[in-house]
Amino acid sequence: MAHIPDGVLATPILIGGAVVSVIAVSIAVRRLQPEQIPQAAVMASAFFVASLISVPVGVSSVHLILNGLMGLVLGWAAVPAILVALLLQTIFFGYGGVLVLGVNAMNIALPAILCAMLFRGPLQRAGQRGSFVIGALSGALAVAMTGLLVCTALALSGNAFVPAAKVLFATFVPLALVEAMVTGATISFLKRVSPELLFVRESAHGTL
Amino acid sequence: MARFSALLLVVVLGVSSPATQAHLLKVFAFAEGNRIDGTTYFVGGIPAAGAGVEVMSEDGRLLTTLVPNSAGEFSYEAKSQTDHVIVANTGDGHVARWTVPASELTGRHTDSADQDALNMLSPVTASAATEPSNGELAILVEQSVARQIRPLREQLIAYEDRIRLRDIIGGVGYILGLFGLAIWWRQRHRSDS
Repeated sequence: MAHIPDGVLATPILIGGAVVSVIAVSIAVRRLQPEQIPQAAVMASAFFVASLISVPVGVSSVHLILNGLMGLVLGWAAVPAILVALLLQTIFFGYGGVLVLGVNAMNIALPAILCAMLFRGPLQRAGQRGSFVIGALSGALAVAMTGLLVCTALALSGNAFVPAAKVLFATFVPLALVEAMVTGATISFLKRVSPELLFVRESAHGTL
Repeated sequence: MARFSALLLVVVLGVSSPATQAHLLKVFAFAEGNRIDGTTYFVGGIPAAGAGVEVMSEDGRLLTTLVPNSAGEFSYEAKSQTDHVIVANTGDGHVARWTVPASELTGRHTDSADQDALNMLSPVTASAATEPSNGELAILVEQSVARQIRPLREQLIAYEDRIRLRDIIGGVGYILGLFGLAIWWRQRHRSDS
């Protein structure tokens, strides 16, 4: 699913993914505020650990990705957090692979950035219920986009697109629902108890 | 931050319970005689019944496509005594590989004939029936040893699959260390400028 193993994708896709990831990381590192680093570490840990709880769905098995949540909370800082967590998942759990790290990071980080761009502004103005809706939308959209990117990467590497898309659709729809609930609940909780966690420094995120 | 850490702790304790499943497709197969028996599953023990299993020769030629049963098990009768590569694929980017080396295949069919041969060895009939040749005996021994050690090999694989608490803690430790390093780096740059 989101962790494509080595030896599945074609070389041009691997190179493309690596290039996109390197560019995204370099942008993210330039924008990174020191105040965000501890938060990024905690979110990376949550992402790292969340992959261990997976639930069988249909022919496959899924786990929370949390990239919508990471995008909303971290903005661009989600990119290095995702990359580091993915690398460690490869080393410790054998998920994915080293060669496909770029593609996997791209598949998960791009939706996170998109969610940050789309929803961070409205989230800042939103009320209690609004922030739940924004969180839920962001969680579902991020997962759906990741699924689409995974399908595209598989299809461009010569796998049949339609069967892969069918399997992914069947597994990602329930996942998107759960992800929406989790992200919505977390975001509205954070917004209520400690909004300063979401918006460390307003000026830093206003530029997104 | 404290709330976040508490949440993380709960999650870590949650996943370290034996009930958790990991998210990794695996396949293994052992030969008994010329029959290759295998299982495909997600680490943690859930059978990947919907996966497609391809059997390929060592040069990558597709020999056959199998559909595992509900327990994720499949079986293939090898036609040649060469390396066989088994590839399980759920179609959404989960792929696992396993190689059955040629040395595991005895080049003989494991069917009822084997049972007859085994019966021949039983003390009652051994004297009356024709003794199996040395070559046949070697094959029989090889097959029964393969059958005997199969559970052991399966257990070893399951043992290797398990994600242990120290892996999780180690990974989280690495993350915190790396980001701590980033903070230190930033601070140094600041004090420089």
